[in-house]
Amino acid sequence: MTNDTERTHRFNELAEAYSTDLYRYAMWKCGNDALAKDLVQETFLRAWRALDSLKDVKAAKSWLITILRREYARTFERKVPPFTDLDKVTVEDNDELKPDERTERDLLRKGILKLDSKYRDPLLLQVVFGHSCAEISEQLGISKSAVMTQLFRAREKLKTQMQKDGVTGNVHELF
Amino acid sequence: MSMNFSEFKKLIGADPLNRDAETLRARLSSPEFEAAATEAEEFEEKLQAAVLVSPPDDLLNQIKGISQQPVQRRSWVPLALAASLLVFVGAAGLVWKQSHQWDSVEDYVVDHYSHDGNAVLAKAGEKSPDQAIAKILTQLDARATEQLAGLITFIKFCPTPDGRGAHMVVSTDQGPVTIIYMPEVQALDGEEVRFDQMHASLVNLEHGSAAIIGNQSQNFDRLVVMVRNSLKTGLVDA
Repeated sequence: MTNDTERTHRFNELAEAYSTDLYRYAMWKCGNDALAKDLVQETFLRAWRALDSLKDVKAAKSWLITILRREYARTFERKVPPFTDLDKVTVEDNDELKPDERTERDLLRKGILKLDSKYRDPLLLQVVFGHSCAEISEQLGISKSAVMTQLFRAREKLKTQMQKDGVTGNVHELF
Repeated sequence: MSMNFSEFKKLIGADPLNRDAETLRARLSSPEFEAAATEAEEFEEKLQAAVLVSPPDDLLNQIKGISQQPVQRRSWVPLALAASLLVFVGAAGLVWKQSHQWDSVEDYVVDHYSHDGNAVLAKAGEKSPDQAIAKILTQLDARATEQLAGLITFIKFCPTPDGRGAHMVVSTDQGPVTIIYMPEVQALDGEEVRFDQMHASLVNLEHGSAAIIGNQSQNFDRLVVMVRNSLKTGLVDA
């Protein structure tokens, strides 16, 4: 293979391996599907340009997340987009959900978007990417104990929010 | 020493799928611990299902299309990407950008300066507060040394052929001079552009580039050196 072909092949492998998770992360991070798509595209555009600097393929996931987080901070943090109507976002594997399960899932999703980013960010890294606490610590530049505290509180807040919304029948609340 | 129930709850609340020996040992130590762990796992299963949103069907193909771009052409974001970003940024300057495609950095510099160079010069006054300078440059992963920051009399974000940049005016002993910082654009270092009684010098930086623009009577030799040494970036090109 020529260098260009090899490079393209390597890039496409990264896209296939990580674009879905990066989209999910971006979607829950910014709460807007169109913006999430832009973020992921911009992330891969930058990754394509800097691909030669990625020496260790094992570091690719963290590398791409870093690019996306930086791009998010750079471009969108000052302009908070409106949250997407989650009903418009395609949801995987939802056909078998019973009505009460669907309600619970919707409450959970709305709860995720309501979380402060300091709780949401480590939670997404763990749930979407399967990062360990140590990996999250490295990614966010905070101590492992702080990560664990934030993860614990994130889940507690979600449970509390779900109970509150569930009790008050707040399923259709708009953001 | 074995962990108490409160410690265990915090541990599995932070990492419900934790399977290390100490956690397992604690889990098996009493029905109360086991019930809490099971509950945490059930919640985790719901959480993992809740975040499963599907990306748009065309996303992967669009990403793969990126690899058709020449590697060295750092300057141009695909029009479709730029246009969709503009929807969210919505600044007037970006609307201007949307209506322009430049064949080169030189074209962009001439077009940009013709668009609002004089208007920006007219806004420049006394020295800009250091905080205002730092606020803008930090968001571009950049910083100016005290020497350069001390000369800046106006600064704002501006569109560049690739992402945001900064449009600055600096005060020199030859009068005000415009600097356009383009963090994601590479230029031909030392290139000179002449237009409408003006001239621009392009400077390649550690990351990105800058255009120094003034009238043709102004000499930029010292300013080029200062910009090269003073406009630093913390951007790891990722």
